[in-house]
Amino acid sequence: MSSFRAKLGSELLINDGGMGSLLQARGLKGGELPERWNVSRPEDIIAVHTAYLEAGADMLTTNTFGANALKYTDPAELREVVRRGVELAAEARKRAGRVPSPAEPAGAASASDDGSARRPAYIGLDIGPTGKLLAPMGDLPFERAVELFSEVIRTGAEAGADYVIIETMSDSYEAKAAALAAKESCSLPVLVTVTFDSRGKLLTGGTVDSVTAMLEGLKVDALGVNCGLGPVQLLPIVKRLTEIASVPVVVNPNAGLPRYENGATVYDVGPEEFSQAMLDIAALGVQVMGGCCGTTPDHIRALAAAVRPLPFRPAGEKSITLVTSFSRAVELGKRTVIIGERINPTGKKAFKQALREGNIDYILNEGLAQENAGADILDVNVGLPEIDEPAMMAEVVSRLQAVTPLPLQIDTSDPEALERALRLYNGKAMVNSVNGTAESIEKVMPVVAKYGGVLVGLALDENGIPDSAEDRVAVARRIYAAAEKYGIPAKDIVIDALALTVSSDGRSALTTLETLRKLHAGEAGSSGLSILGVSNISFGLPRRELVNSAFLGMAMECGLSAAIMNPLSPEMMNAYRSSLALLSMDENCMEYIAACANMPAASSSGTAVSASPARTSPAGGSSAPALPGPGSSPEELARALAESVKRGLADQAAQITESALSHFEPLDLINAALIPALDEVGRGFEKGTVFLPQLLLSADAAKAAFEKIKESMAGSASAPKGRIILATVKGDIHDIGKNIVKVMLENYSYEVIDLGKDVPPEVIADTAVRENIRLVGLSALMTTTVVSMEDTIKLLRKVKPDTLVVVGGAVMTEEYAAAIGADYYAPDAMATVRYADSVFGAEI
Amino acid sequence: MSSTCTGTTGLSSDAPDPGTAPGIPVSVYRGICRYLGYRNIVPDDAVRERISRNYRALEDASDRRSVFRAFPVSFPAEGAVRIGLSSSADGFTVESRDLCRNLKGCSEAVLLAVTIGPGPDMLVRRAGVSGMLDAAILQAAGAAMAEEYCEELNQSIIADEREKKRFCRPRFSPGYGDFPLLFQKDFSRILNMPGAIGVSLTDNLLMVPSKSITAVIGIADTPLSCGVSGCDACTASGNCPYRKN
Repeated sequence: MSSFRAKLGSELLINDGGMGSLLQARGLKGGELPERWNVSRPEDIIAVHTAYLEAGADMLTTNTFGANALKYTDPAELREVVRRGVELAAEARKRAGRVPSPAEPAGAASASDDGSARRPAYIGLDIGPTGKLLAPMGDLPFERAVELFSEVIRTGAEAGADYVIIETMSDSYEAKAAALAAKESCSLPVLVTVTFDSRGKLLTGGTVDSVTAMLEGLKVDALGVNCGLGPVQLLPIVKRLTEIASVPVVVNPNAGLPRYENGATVYDVGPEEFSQAMLDIAALGVQVMGGCCGTTPDHIRALAAAVRPLPFRPAGEKSITLVTSFSRAVELGKRTVIIGERINPTGKKAFKQALREGNIDYILNEGLAQENAGADILDVNVGLPEIDEPAMMAEVVSRLQAVTPLPLQIDTSDPEALERALRLYNGKAMVNSVNGTAESIEKVMPVVAKYGGVLVGLALDENGIPDSAEDRVAVARRIYAAAEKYGIPAKDIVIDALALTVSSDGRSALTTLETLRKLHAGEAGSSGLSILGVSNISFGLPRRELVNSAFLGMAMECGLSAAIMNPLSPEMMNAYRSSLALLSMDENCMEYIAACANMPAASSSGTAVSASPARTSPAGGSSAPALPGPGSSPEELARALAESVKRGLADQAAQITESALSHFEPLDLINAALIPALDEVGRGFEKGTVFLPQLLLSADAAKAAFEKIKESMAGSASAPKGRIILATVKGDIHDIGKNIVKVMLENYSYEVIDLGKDVPPEVIADTAVRENIRLVGLSALMTTTVVSMEDTIKLLRKVKPDTLVVVGGAVMTEEYAAAIGADYYAPDAMATVRYADSVFGAEI
Repeated sequence: MSSTCTGTTGLSSDAPDPGTAPGIPVSVYRGICRYLGYRNIVPDDAVRERISRNYRALEDASDRRSVFRAFPVSFPAEGAVRIGLSSSADGFTVESRDLCRNLKGCSEAVLLAVTIGPGPDMLVRRAGVSGMLDAAILQAAGAAMAEEYCEELNQSIIADEREKKRFCRPRFSPGYGDFPLLFQKDFSRILNMPGAIGVSLTDNLLMVPSKSITAVIGIADTPLSCGVSGCDACTASGNCPYRKN
């Protein structure tokens, strides 16, 4: 083991301070890339390192903060500045006589322990952010970021760095990409420090808890915070860090908050004040300390003098279990958490259909609905034999984590799907599941160990599901033992006590409850965490919700940590909230009372306990027209339906459609009521008397009606009027306009193949050829990306000359459209619909 | 009137007043209406309520940050303007008649960048999953909110300069007129936008988070009686549905 790895976490280490302002003092111009000085001004760099060594730093950070392929486009130059960066630090420590000897034991220092002792010094390869935001927020793909970091880390490791320090990360996803790159490209210790704002949040929303859990899952060797704030402002953040981190904590504050004076950035906290404030930080139990912007060798000298005499406090193992997303951490073991079960094709015809069609929005909607209903975590299961599960899982997880802050539970038995999901997951996921069989353990545990995760273990093995609680606990014990071997800490194991239906075994609920009690008491493993798929208890019985909700209460009383259930079910949520209150998990019963306030007065079954507002509010200033009564004639129903579409009343439209379907054939209803109403609204939009919001409200109402019609027609899907590709072209990520066009086209019975945004010409052309598409709609909202539109059209003409192209977008004009060879320019959604009608109508 | 005032309401004087919406500053609300395509019509109560609700969600999700610095301005050639010292890498030279006209008479300019953070972008993505109306409103509201924030900063810079007896030109951004969008890269580099306010550029020069604005504000010793500002300088004049009157 290298001596640095031995020392990290077993003795106090002093990091160096800021480099930027020191280089500026030596003449670095604003706008000049500092890493270039590794080649052009090596002695200046060595001088800075030397000053920090003399000030007592144990750790030197190389001058490579901004060295990546995005800033240095010449690969040879990039390699050189990185290599030289490491070599210069090595040279500085050699001249100072601070080279570690190979078998340096921990705690070794020669002569004296003051700052100028010949303590060995270690070289940290400094990795800073790329300067681009990762997708989906920005346009830098995750794997590209991993690549960018990997090439620099490989070079730096070869050049002789002792460790990698990834710093100033303000996005957890980028921090993950860098940490993964380090783990995959070298075997050096990896340190990661992030930058929080004064509220304790990362730029992209991460918290101390969410970031710590994710990084520990990735098995970084130390983690902490740098930049952004001074030591005083960082105190509450460091306090939380030391409470939950099980690895050594690194703190490198700025010298206070910056001030701008005569165009320069000035930091006001001097060395004495800094070191005094750092004493408070040290008192919290921090293992590595140094400084960032505004700190100088004098700051480090004062820091070292102040904190070296203090007794060392190691980090210590913390047993808190956290499942995290990019911004949220859910703790298991305090009170029962709800894992929403609805993203699962089992027994759901519409869901299976959505998976087959690639209708991701349907799945996302299920996720958001569960979030609004109170789920803490979302289970994600997209296993269907006829689809590419790994690809679908990767896409669903990416899309979900872009729209919800809820952590996810990756639910799959496909190892490739699991790996892909865990690799791109932004946070520390829950994994469902592993079981006690050797095969399952070997397939699942290594992946979870690599990427981190809270792993659900099913208490069954090669012998099947044990009948007794003792035997289930025995299997669970073996799962904990295996996890330890693979490097998954006990705190990240949750055992599924298995709920078998009482309709086939009358004692099964009792067995499960007893198993829960034993797990909770720690008889299987120290985490004492448990999980159940609650609904399994009632399979085969009528009114399953009643049995499930009673069982949930009992299980919670036995210490159930997580319940996989349906948060959209009023019975289940009522049972959940009541149980929380009864088990003293709801302080002053506040949540229960608040939920009751949202309940309708009469407590007949089926009343929803929900805090979320109604889905649609009625359009129109006057009150909504009354629903047609039961004795209404077909004409009245059709009229009412048309009216509700024109007014944008989605719930009403759905209800009226249900009644109307007993009088009308679906197609007749569409033609008699829906289309005329949409046409009227559309004409108003074109004339300028109806505006976009109304258009969209009407489209929503029509969509609700169509959904009812589709349900009644399930099995006999009618052919769409035509199939149309829509895409926002390469380089452009605006897609609201395109999505509005999609909504309108679907309303008019067109099937839309939505390729999304930033779509390369080849993808559009390939899809058009493969699916034999007659009409392609392209959208671009920037003058700079109209070029992509032109490229796309040229390619289409080449490979599929019979396809027509309609273009739109804010910068598009008739002249421009003609110039780039489009067939039609559509100024808005309705115009696109009309053009589609003319294209496809001409063929009927 | 002095061209230093950029607080237009976006309405022609004889258009009906789109009123207000609860909880939204008037100028922001009017900006939202303009971006939603309401030129001279009052949105109905339901839409207004929807706008208010979305605006509140947007406020909770936004994280305003700004960065700005002053630079010397010089004119090295006809139609070209240098922002920053000629000897320094800390600046750039632009060939743009429109920018030159905007900065005529200025000895200094402030470069600024503002953002309302990544939260609004996530809200728009979320909203787009279940229906486009809230997404469209959030998009409009986010743009209006960023505009408003930029305007606030602009006004405070104007006030500061007035104390020094100096006058500001109307703010002018890359992409206006013939001021190429390419200079977003220079803004980003010089102001350290990624580090300072967490704003980066896509390969096609879009800012992310998207509700972000960069601008140049020229500073001179004398006021200009007739300035070219905002929409007036833009070559998309005939085609833009969002043009301020």
